Amino acid sequence: MNKVALLTGASRGLGKVIAGFLAAQQYDLILTARGEADLKATALELGAFGGEVAILAGDVSDGAQQQALAKMVAQRGRLDLLVNNASILGLSPQPALAVYPLQTLETVFAVNVLAPLGLVQMLLPWLEQAQGLVINISSDAAVGGYPGWGGYGASKAALDLLSLTLANELRATGVAVVSVDPGDMRTQMHQAAFPGEDISDRPLPEVTLPFWAWLLAQDSLLISGQRFHAQAEVWNIKV
Amino acid sequence: MQRTDLFFERPSSLQATMPPEARHLQRDEVRLLVTTPTGHSHTTFAQLADFLEPGDLVVVNRSATLPASLPVTGAQGDFLLNLSTNYGDGVWLAEPRWSTSEPGPLPLAPGDQLTTGSADLHLIAPYPGLARLWFVHTEADLCATMQARGSPIRYGYVTNPYPLAAYQTIFAKVPGSAEMPSAGRPFSQRVVRSLRQQGVKMAGITLHTGVSSLEIETEEVEAQAMYAEPFHVPIATARLVNATRQAGHRVIAVGTTVVRALESAWDGDKVCPARGFTRLFIHPERGVHVVDGLVTGFHDPLASHLAMLYAIAGQAMIQDSYRAAVQQGYLWHEFGDSHLILKG
Repeated sequence: MNKVALLTGASRGLGKVIAGFLAAQQYDLILTARGEADLKATALELGAFGGEVAILAGDVSDGAQQQALAKMVAQRGRLDLLVNNASILGLSPQPALAVYPLQTLETVFAVNVLAPLGLVQMLLPWLEQAQGLVINISSDAAVGGYPGWGGYGASKAALDLLSLTLANELRATGVAVVSVDPGDMRTQMHQAAFPGEDISDRPLPEVTLPFWAWLLAQDSLLISGQRFHAQAEVWNIKV
Repeated sequence: MQRTDLFFERPSSLQATMPPEARHLQRDEVRLLVTTPTGHSHTTFAQLADFLEPGDLVVVNRSATLPASLPVTGAQGDFLLNLSTNYGDGVWLAEPRWSTSEPGPLPLAPGDQLTTGSADLHLIAPYPGLARLWFVHTEADLCATMQARGSPIRYGYVTNPYPLAAYQTIFAKVPGSAEMPSAGRPFSQRVVRSLRQQGVKMAGITLHTGVSSLEIETEEVEAQAMYAEPFHVPIATARLVNATRQAGHRVIAVGTTVVRALESAWDGDKVCPARGFTRLFIHPERGVHVVDGLVTGFHDPLASHLAMLYAIAGQAMIQDSYRAAVQQGYLWHEFGDSHLILKG
């Protein structure tokens, strides 16, 4: 029986790179993203590796979408890996906190913080059964305090604390949770953060492949609660 | 640092084409070039202890070499798959080559299937920035496959195959290296005894080497992509290294692998026990914090390891030592002569 992974924000950029890495290892994939056309194209491409690729386009902060995803997992009866990769920047360019529209900030938190937690809550029985791993995609903005990054950064800081707390709460159940800062990459989201600027000096998201290869082979309870930098020089297990 | 800073002229006749034993020498009878800020001296490896002091700590790599070169068959025909690094869960990094002397690239694509014996492998994706290396996935036990069908990785300059034993150092304990951590090769039990008698301490790390050390391809040396290697610095070794430094003695690394492991375990103040993967690239701009000296072989023109040597002892001293090595006919590569570099 193939391993099953659910990835959000999987139609392009980093999410697609991780999905491709898993597809090539014969994982069955459940992929979601907002853009249906991109998602279909990704599914077609990754399906060539031979595993099953199921897709459901929609907004991960929508409770109905979360339930529909949980139903897809239930149909497969298994979940080894949940990658909470979908997130939104808020506005482009990003406003300073002093003038940040609070309604937008609510949406940012709904997608970047509440949706990952909602999925974990809903999928926990399957994750427990498979002794699965949850990967929450974070950002250096979570700790940077960079002017203009306060909204997005605060949401990622909240996600980091969710990751650490969940790791501690779930340790006894065998479910592991890690947080990963993938580093700067040449993606559509990064371009939106720097509108009009040349970001061609940033590496493509494929630069993180070796890190995922390393992370996914670790004994997940040994790494649970850690926060990693995918582009760091050293990936260390705390000894 | 520019790529041209790592270039030097070396006649191809100075490549060791066979193990010293095949040249009727004991392992510790290879030549040793000793480079210090006051100049160079020429001796044999058996005399190593003469150049070390009581209290110095010699750190060796305990990784053992795998028979990592597998004959494989794919849609492209028969070729070699040199396994570089075991990531775990059936994922390996590997270098497909036409043969020992013909590298690649081969016309490969993600999803391609390769077969060796009863083992099937599937290509996942090339390594970012190093397209000659591929991630592969298999359900098969490649360690068993290697035992049955593998041979030590060999390149064109070594004209004949030699058994795996020729590729093990006396420190080899933990299998995992694609290529011999060759700086340790000249060590013999009598060299170890002479070090102990001299009051030199010894400790170990494990770093499993990947396929052949990198040649710098970018004009700006620091921009070179590095692949990651598994390493382990045990608690006991971290303690010994820190105690040695506190006492004002020297830490001597046996091999660039040991430098990489120790520097990867440096937290800005001391060496900490560590286990993970490192892709740390040590060059002069980054510098070294832990090691005071290095026992190593002779590295090719443009090898990334030369940047590490420059970081330890300075570009001028290393370039001067390589001129001396070429002039005196020292031998390059894993079966060649040895070089002790002390930064003074």
